[in-house]
Amino acid sequence: MTTWHRVASASDLRDDEGFPVDVDGAAIALYRINGAIHAIDDVCTHEFAVLSQGFVQAGTIECPLHAAQFDIATGECLSGPAAQDLRTYPVRQEGDDIYVGVPEA
Amino acid sequence: MFLRNSWYVAASGHEAGRKPLRRVILGEPVVLFRTEDGTPVALEDRCAHRHLPLSMGKLIGDTLQCHYHGLRYDRTGACVRVPGQDLIPPSARVRSYPLVERYRWLWIWMGDPALADPGRITDYHWLDDPSWGAASEYLHVKANWQLIVDNLLDLTHLAFVHETTIGNSALVEHASVKVQRAHDNVAVTRWIIDQPPPPTFVKVGGFTGNVDRWQIIDFVPPAFLRLDVGATPTGTGAPEGHRVGGISMRNLNAITPETETTSHYFWGQAHDFDIHNPHTTEKVVAQIRTAFLEDVAVFEAQQVNLDLVPNPPQTDINADTGVIQARRILDRLHQEEAAAAPRVAAE
Repeated sequence: MTTWHRVASASDLRDDEGFPVDVDGAAIALYRINGAIHAIDDVCTHEFAVLSQGFVQAGTIECPLHAAQFDIATGECLSGPAAQDLRTYPVRQEGDDIYVGVPEA
Repeated sequence: MFLRNSWYVAASGHEAGRKPLRRVILGEPVVLFRTEDGTPVALEDRCAHRHLPLSMGKLIGDTLQCHYHGLRYDRTGACVRVPGQDLIPPSARVRSYPLVERYRWLWIWMGDPALADPGRITDYHWLDDPSWGAASEYLHVKANWQLIVDNLLDLTHLAFVHETTIGNSALVEHASVKVQRAHDNVAVTRWIIDQPPPPTFVKVGGFTGNVDRWQIIDFVPPAFLRLDVGATPTGTGAPEGHRVGGISMRNLNAITPETETTSHYFWGQAHDFDIHNPHTTEKVVAQIRTAFLEDVAVFEAQQVNLDLVPNPPQTDINADTGVIQARRILDRLHQEEAAAAPRVAAE
């Protein structure tokens, strides 16, 4: 069962940076890549760092602290020092409203 | 670890004169002086004969005479007189360093002289630009140069170290920081929108209401940090590049490593308001000086701990993004310089 949370307006997003949102205490970041909006965990799987403050380049996010890289669309860890992938979340847009789907505990 | 192939500030122009000035730079003793026509000169500060600092000697015309046995060196570092003998040993020579006077500072090149292109001197024109008021100062710091670079790339500490001077709590709670990077540059930008101005700005800018305030840090390796700071009445368009009715300043920092654990910290402050009033310049400089002395106390205390336990583990926080990007550039440049250096032949 997925719960949908309204987390942002589409106009909040920019192509070159992540947009951090809080979904029931979970840190998630939204990205817009080639028009598609993606939602992935916002905390690096290596050490604690907020990824949305990192560097977006060619569909990847680079951790601002230790340079681990993740694929924004799939959450896949592309290069170290992190080893684990990020969780991804389904995104739905209704008008200007953006919803993120989070599995119910 | 030092990057040698770079210009560094060796001294303020006024420090060098007809009295030799000793300054250790990148671990090497240097003596600075001016010839009779005012040309600044930098030589190795160690007599080729018995190692006394030449800065203990005196200038005879355009030559520097060693205090110990009277050997004299010309501006190129060549010995031109040995008392008691007519012939001068070819090895009687000290190193001379490329030196350029610019922006009221003397810039020295400690690396390969063939690479010393004055075009690579970082721009500090605000210090002698007639459309700005400006003054510069010097601090000797008992801490590694990179601790100072870290500090100047980090905006977060302002609210804590400088609570009573240039920081206020609006900095942390109402600001967004953006870090941009290029091959040899890091920029950290913070905007604080519609918040009360800090005490410093109220004093010099006469603001009566809230302001939009910017802090833009520009890092050029190895240790040049130029900060663009200012504020305009809120809502007047500064974030879009339209700066009117406010104040703007440049905080201009150039750090020169002295040793691994000590640094020369040259800094200046330029302001675009009341530019011909030396009292205003002094007021602005005094406030920054107070803040920087607060920083120096931090650097020196950090260094004491790092001397006790070198390279301890450390936690990184997101506010370190600019610092970490700069350190990465420096690490790369160190590697490049080490790779380019001539290898010492294995025996």
